[in-house]
Amino acid sequence: MARIRLFTTPICPYCFSLKKFLEEKGIEVEEIDVSENEIALEEMIKETEQTTVPVLDIDGEFLVGFDRKKICEILKIEE
Amino acid sequence: MTYDLIIVGAGPAGMTSAIYSARQKLKTLIISKDFGGQMAQKAVEIENYPGFEKVTGLDLISKMEKQVRDVDIVREKVLEIKKEDDIFILKTESEKVFQSKVVIIATGAEPRRLNVTGETDYLGRGVSYCSTCDGPLFKNKEIAIIGGGDAGFETAIFMKNYASKIYILEYGESVKASLDNQKKAEGIEIITSAQLKEIKGDNFVNQIVFDRLGKEETLDVKGVFIQAGYVPETSFLEDLVELNERKEIVVDFETFETKTKGLFAVGDVNCGKVKQIVVACGQGAVAVINGYKYI
Repeated sequence: MARIRLFTTPICPYCFSLKKFLEEKGIEVEEIDVSENEIALEEMIKETEQTTVPVLDIDGEFLVGFDRKKICEILKIEE
Repeated sequence: MTYDLIIVGAGPAGMTSAIYSARQKLKTLIISKDFGGQMAQKAVEIENYPGFEKVTGLDLISKMEKQVRDVDIVREKVLEIKKEDDIFILKTESEKVFQSKVVIIATGAEPRRLNVTGETDYLGRGVSYCSTCDGPLFKNKEIAIIGGGDAGFETAIFMKNYASKIYILEYGESVKASLDNQKKAEGIEIITSAQLKEIKGDNFVNQIVFDRLGKEETLDVKGVFIQAGYVPETSFLEDLVELNERKEIVVDFETFETKTKGLFAVGDVNCGKVKQIVVACGQGAVAVINGYKYI
């Protein structure tokens, strides 16, 4: 099974929407609050070259934002 | 299957519509990629929604979502709406098609872009329209907020928790935020008569250039939060609705019906002048009651 990490900040509405979407699809994720985890924040910025959340890491493939189509494609789930 | 009522958008207006529609026993669907609209992005707590002394936008929308019963939900964006033989046909981004007798548009508004050099290039690399999302990533950094209205000041108040230095740039000669917000923003440097010209940097933002009374000035900042108003989200509606000069949907204020029978528009997407959460909720309720009568 894929290791999935979700980089978020505490009151980010798009992070919340993405988390909810993954929950509804039965996908387990490890959520990381980057406002409290500088190492994870640095990793996220290095991998994405972006300073924005949410970011999803699916087995080393980093996706910025809530790109529903791409997420479903990678996880091989129905939209 | 044809729904009785489809609600497009899930901010306070859309959620109230859903609560009322389900209580009328209408077969109801909400289609919205995100829940909460602008309310969920509010940088400060809401203090003027009855029943709650203080509540965050995200908490309030979560409570509304929990209150919605017996309603189908599709977490997608609607790309097209047509009306054929008294039935509305809605197409989503994944090309799903839904049908309904009544549609309520509650899509709210999107942040206004300034169209200055660097704004698009540095989007997500220092430029942000969502401080509640990206604000915490600018811990101990200097930032600028563009827009001296309430949204700009609320962003500044929120960013006091993170940024080391905050500037607010306001295009006009004075700021437009409420006195209460101005008081809470104590310690923030406000620059009026400032017109943003360019956002510069390398991989990430490191400077903004602005014009002040005919003179070019710069500020070294790592983050630029643009809070220069909102543009209604109506692009998918084409000629089903009439838009005013601000691109808001013109509605009948007794019913919130648009020029198309059975199509209603509520909340910040319509031409109402008072953009408040409680007003949006009220409009959502009125539209459902009139949609029920229409069916």
